[in-house]
Amino acid sequence: MSDPDTALRTDGLTKRFGDVVALDHLDLEVARGDVVGYLGPNGAGKTTTIRLLLGLSRPTEGRAEIFGLDCQRQPVETHRRLAFVAGEANLWPSLTGAETLALLGRVHGQVDVAYRDELIERFDLDPTKKVRAYSKGNHQKVILIAALMARPDLLILDEPTSGLDPLMEQAFRHCVHEARDRGQTVFLSSHMMSEVEALCDRVGILRDGKLVEMGTLAEMRHLSALTVEARFDGQVPDLSVVPGVSAVQADGSLVRCQVRGSVKSLVKVLAAARVTELVSREPSLEELFLAQYGEDGHAG
Amino acid sequence: MQADLGIRARIMAPVRAGGSPGSVIAAFSTRKAVRLGILWGYIFGLAIASSEITYSRIYKTAAQRDALAATYGTSKAMSALFGPAPQLQTVSGFTVFKISMALMILGAVWGLLTSTRLLRGEEDSGRWDLLLCGRTTRGGATAQVIAGLGGGLVTLWAITAIIAVLSGHTSNVGISTGSSLYFSVAMVATAAMFLAVGAVTSQLGATRRQAASFGAVFLGVSYGVRLIADAGVGLHGLIWASPLGWVEELQPLTSPQPLALLPIVAFTAMLAVVAVRVAGARDAGASIVADRDHSPAHLGLLYGPSGLAVRLLRATVIGWWIAIGVSAFLYGLIAKSTGATISGSMKQVFSKLGASGTGAAEVFGLCFLIEAILIGFVAAGQVTAARVEESEGTLDNFMVRPVSRSTWLGGRLVVALVVLVLSGIAAGVLGWLGAASQHTGLSFTSLLGAGINLVPPAIVILGIGVLTFGVLPRATSIVVYTVLGWSLLIVIVGGFGTVSHWILDTSVFHHMASAPGLSPNWEANGIMIGIGVAAALVGGLAFMRRDLQGS
Ligand SMILES: Nc1ncnc2c1ncn2[C@@H]1O[C@H](COP(=O)(O)OP(=O)(O)OP(=O)(O)O)[C@@H](O)[C@H]1O
Ligand SMILES: [Mg+2]
Repeated sequence: MSDPDTALRTDGLTKRFGDVVALDHLDLEVARGDVVGYLGPNGAGKTTTIRLLLGLSRPTEGRAEIFGLDCQRQPVETHRRLAFVAGEANLWPSLTGAETLALLGRVHGQVDVAYRDELIERFDLDPTKKVRAYSKGNHQKVILIAALMARPDLLILDEPTSGLDPLMEQAFRHCVHEARDRGQTVFLSSHMMSEVEALCDRVGILRDGKLVEMGTLAEMRHLSALTVEARFDGQVPDLSVVPGVSAVQADGSLVRCQVRGSVKSLVKVLAAARVTELVSREPSLEELFLAQYGEDGHAG
Repeated sequence: MQADLGIRARIMAPVRAGGSPGSVIAAFSTRKAVRLGILWGYIFGLAIASSEITYSRIYKTAAQRDALAATYGTSKAMSALFGPAPQLQTVSGFTVFKISMALMILGAVWGLLTSTRLLRGEEDSGRWDLLLCGRTTRGGATAQVIAGLGGGLVTLWAITAIIAVLSGHTSNVGISTGSSLYFSVAMVATAAMFLAVGAVTSQLGATRRQAASFGAVFLGVSYGVRLIADAGVGLHGLIWASPLGWVEELQPLTSPQPLALLPIVAFTAMLAVVAVRVAGARDAGASIVADRDHSPAHLGLLYGPSGLAVRLLRATVIGWWIAIGVSAFLYGLIAKSTGATISGSMKQVFSKLGASGTGAAEVFGLCFLIEAILIGFVAAGQVTAARVEESEGTLDNFMVRPVSRSTWLGGRLVVALVVLVLSGIAAGVLGWLGAASQHTGLSFTSLLGAGINLVPPAIVILGIGVLTFGVLPRATSIVVYTVLGWSLLIVIVGGFGTVSHWILDTSVFHHMASAPGLSPNWEANGIMIGIGVAAALVGGLAFMRRDLQGS
């Protein structure tokens, strides 16, 4: 039985391409109304997950459901409630932007026309132009507008802002905020940490087809280290012996280190020395991400 | 994206390896063109060899050969269809008559497909932008592709020539090396000209499909003009107005006339220069028959995948209908006068080719075989277009929305079927119009029936195409065109007797009764439709179960 509060859920979802295990028993759950970031290095299996959710690929094992509907067996019903934006738009070169939007809108069956026109304005798209004459960024705008104008319950986005300039990236973020405020669920795969950090409540990190981390940003920060930078006047104490401290880097009188757990012992050592400057900050998502899959050099 | 990177890597590699950046495109195109040249060279060579060897085995005595010459050599209908047949008493004359027209047309089709693919196709896919990056001009890049195509052409000739020379040296055949080499030149001459035609139409058309269609219309007109010239109605001078006519005038193996190479070489060179010039003068991705950048919205057909398919394929399909209609009309014009020349012994030969009846109806029966082949190409084009929707990813736009796979595929097949049936009707109606204008006395219903009779073989091709699409999507276009090419070859070879019926049965066209000379065999047609539908169903089910696959 499916939970009415669950937007998306996978059970042991697995996909193999010959010997390559692209996705390995993925168990994922996204609650209704959440904005979830889906991160992972190249080849981690993000696009594979999304193609399985959309019924474009067939799973080797496991299943996935969206709003309680089976993604493989009820694709049409599922697709009525969602919209998808790919990282690369494959449109028909001979249609104009307006024709493309009209076609996709009719196929989807529900369009908020006023919102569509507003989006065209916001993204500064010239809809009378043929797709052939559009730049890469404009292709992306067309499929973004096509997805957003349907006001679907679930937005599945796979690197949706590739090719957009910073101004348009801003417009996109605004749209995602709007969607969240309306209670729409957003599943966003991205390589742009700042984007995920700005938009998402929860983050999942995928690596080699396995989900290695899933939680809110605050939870993930709590689990990971705090970065501390201190400048000393005179003698620099040896911080590497302090319990909980790691990754000590000294650069003259400036020392940078990471602390896990309680900061008590570190503060004691620092107080005994002559500290002139002290900065401590939580790790950025980028640092969390790098810590997650960069520890043995490189993933994949 | 991955494909792009792969190509980028392949393209960049020679540059880094110290090759001249200017010749990257030439190397890339040569590799592709040579590969195609090898494949088709084998087909050409084998066709020549099989014809030479069969003739020398079957028609052993002078008496047999004289009888053959008396029947074929005097028929205006045969001359109109296949070109004149001056020396049927010899292996050479027979081979020229039997296969040269087919190879000329195949060569032209090869030329068009290859050059539009490597020019407009590559440009359309955006790969050119990657290649150009300021390294060379657009005209320069086009010149490089043309050089690559030249490499493919030389390969095609070389393989054809090697097999032809070997076959010429087998006992009983006895054709000199020089003659075989010259014959091979003649057989690839249309390929050369239509590579150049394709280079020009690639500048004109906005898509590869459109570029190939323009070229196909030109081929149809060239064939039509030489058909009239050879129909024995006093217009032989027209032969010089058709590129196919120039190749005929080379008269290989019979009475060689190398001077006819002049227009061929001049035409090819001129078109190549025009293509480079036009390419240099226009923008990347632009075309001469310009698609304007802006356009008012036409929403009429844009209700879903089928409506979109109609809109996108409209121009190509209308091009095919024109080719089918015009050629049927021409057959109608000549049917009466050529039918009148059919002698008693000729009838036996006609019946071997499958035709029967009297006079004009027999001629129609034969001519409509060519219409059936054209409609087969239309069917192959429809399946290939469906696969291209998948491989280029435009299908994803529907598959992530509330459209089921069966709705999409079913809709595409309905569109394809309507196109095929209308093609058959076009052949019947325009053939009747041409015939009626000459008071040929064939009824409208019999010709309409003959037109519709052309559709079942195309349905088999469509079905096989869908089956492949479902099971082995990446092989779709190779399989359908191979089935078509094989069927064509068997019809040509089989028409001249002594081919095992097991082999004949593998040709989709063999099962079609030669209407209107014979009345359509509705039972065989029903079986063909059944096979087509069954194959399509299996393919459809397989498609439902598999992953969508890019190129
Ligand atoms: N059709 C396919 N055939 C074979 N292998 C595939 C196919 N599609 C994906 N893979 C493999 O599956 C793995 C996961 O790929 P996927 O595209 O899902 O990664 P991703 O996380 O989306 O990466 P990126 O960040 O580069 O988009 C990769 O190793 C990839 O090579
Ligand atoms: Mg991806």
